Amino acid sequence: MNVKNIFNPRNILILIGVGIALAIPLMFNASQYVMLLMTTVLLYAILASAWNIIGGMAGQLDLAAAAYLGLGAFTTGTLLIRWNITPWVGMFLGGLVATALAMLIGFPLFGFKVKELWYALSSSALVVVLQSLFMMWNEVGGPTEKYLPIGTSPWYSLRFNNYMPYYYIMLIILVVVLLVNRWIRYSKLGYSLMALGEDEDAVEVLGVNSQSSKLKALAIYAFICGVVGGIFASIYGYVHPAFFDTSMSMEITILGIVGGMGFIYGPALAAIIMVSFREILRASLGSQLAGLYLAVYAIILIVVALYQPRGIAPLVERGLKKAQTYFVELTRGRRADIKSH
Amino acid sequence: MLETATQGIITGILMGAIYALIALGLSIVFGIMNVTNFAHGDFVMLSMYLSFAVGSALAWDAVATPLITAPLMFLFGIITYYLLIDRTLRQMYVVQLAVTVGLQILMRSVALIIWQAQPRALQYSFIQGNIQIAGFEILTSRLFSAVVSLIFIAGMAYFMNKTWAGRAMRAASDDLGAASLMGVNYHKTYALTFAIGSSITALAGGLVMSFQQTDPVGGIRFGLLSWAVLALAGLGSLPGLIVAGIIVGVVESLTVSFFDPRSRLLGVYAIFILVLWLRPRGLFGRR
Repeated sequence: MNVKNIFNPRNILILIGVGIALAIPLMFNASQYVMLLMTTVLLYAILASAWNIIGGMAGQLDLAAAAYLGLGAFTTGTLLIRWNITPWVGMFLGGLVATALAMLIGFPLFGFKVKELWYALSSSALVVVLQSLFMMWNEVGGPTEKYLPIGTSPWYSLRFNNYMPYYYIMLIILVVVLLVNRWIRYSKLGYSLMALGEDEDAVEVLGVNSQSSKLKALAIYAFICGVVGGIFASIYGYVHPAFFDTSMSMEITILGIVGGMGFIYGPALAAIIMVSFREILRASLGSQLAGLYLAVYAIILIVVALYQPRGIAPLVERGLKKAQTYFVELTRGRRADIKSH
Repeated sequence: MLETATQGIITGILMGAIYALIALGLSIVFGIMNVTNFAHGDFVMLSMYLSFAVGSALAWDAVATPLITAPLMFLFGIITYYLLIDRTLRQMYVVQLAVTVGLQILMRSVALIIWQAQPRALQYSFIQGNIQIAGFEILTSRLFSAVVSLIFIAGMAYFMNKTWAGRAMRAASDDLGAASLMGVNYHKTYALTFAIGSSITALAGGLVMSFQQTDPVGGIRFGLLSWAVLALAGLGSLPGLIVAGIIVGVVESLTVSFFDPRSRLLGVYAIFILVLWLRPRGLFGRR
């Protein structure tokens, strides 16, 4: 990066964002409720950013985020409950289990070139199927919650009595996922995926193996969801088949679309805005009528999707470009030739 | 063993006819407008609630409620079309997904607000009881629903092939540009199509309410079932839809009687995935 450019609006915004994210727990230290809320927001931001790899870049409308999340949660939970294996190991194994299932589903689906709609439907059905499977599998799941033991050390069992550690763990994962997004976006895989999202046949003719590119994207996405699922189980302190939540999967997909498909920060930004908004609605309306906050939230999602179909990231980009021009003019004494960015 | 199987198959065939009816609404919307309505199952859920509301307010039998709920759902379909679907037609495909999934969340939460989370059911239908044939039990309400479904599907086949409105729909599905040149206003045709698809769920909802209860998340199951039927049948064949509905119904029923009631969707999902892998245009599809 150019040293002269390091103070451009984009980097300043990133710095401010990271600063706020780091400072929030100190600001609201007293309120565990706010910490849980912020952790939930980060959870959605991570999942939506992971979705961006398979959905935003590769154009595959995956609706199975909660399937992979649930698998990660159950793997981590079961390992801790049965064999006292720390979630620090469990979450990565959970990620691997999720990836394995994703490969099992994705290999034939991509191989037979199942088209977007049918891929979306079969991934959405996967969540329902896993839920009923884990409902029946009493050793691991079953209709009652299986609680994670607290054990001797909270760091070993990843069971804290406040939400702050979870918040920072989630924050670190979000940064990592965003960096992974950035790395993929500007790698050979990313260019293949972006092209795939546009026109699959043309890309095939140019010698890109679309099946293996899509499988790689799906594997990374499922792995991230699985790892986050492990932490999800630790935060809630139990595992239950309700973790396989179709509504949550769909919400992740909508956040990815509303954020701006293919923009690295878009889905995370959408998640931060929309999920905070949803939780505020839940806090203010939830006590009066169950479901009212979701109705308002759904209407806003629909309106954003209809009137800003390319997502909110392009809006931000436009704003940033204006700010950049203004900034450069300000620092370099209004040189006319810079205006034509 | 054999008796359980036969009993399961009989129940499955009867349910399958109703699944075919539910999938018919989806098939019309998807086949003609190429609109993917992810909320279709929730249209069925809403219809069932409307049927519950009408049935309990007027003390009507569940099977009579479509007389009122079908016009209501027709209206709901027209409003939904002009308010949401029409605006997504020229957008990217994902916008349609986002909008219909948003609609799904909206319908589910509205149902939760109005009718709360506990399941709702109507009084036993006047067509309760069962018929015994060769030792097998046939629930009269299901038999009645299956027969009505089949008659309605046959009527729909007639409508699509013989009337101007039906032909206009099929023309718009084959070649939108040419149909527009021949004087078909596609906004109106699409609105009519969507409204018909939506009012079919009202009929299906009334029939299902004669022997089942409804809850706010019941839409997921009907959505998955009708997409599975549609994937199996392929587009453009109404008899195919009936056969596919029956296959799905029988598989579901056999999974329930031989394996576990909680696994009812597993067999359906297995068929769905296999069809997508092996025969993406369905068993009877024309494209």
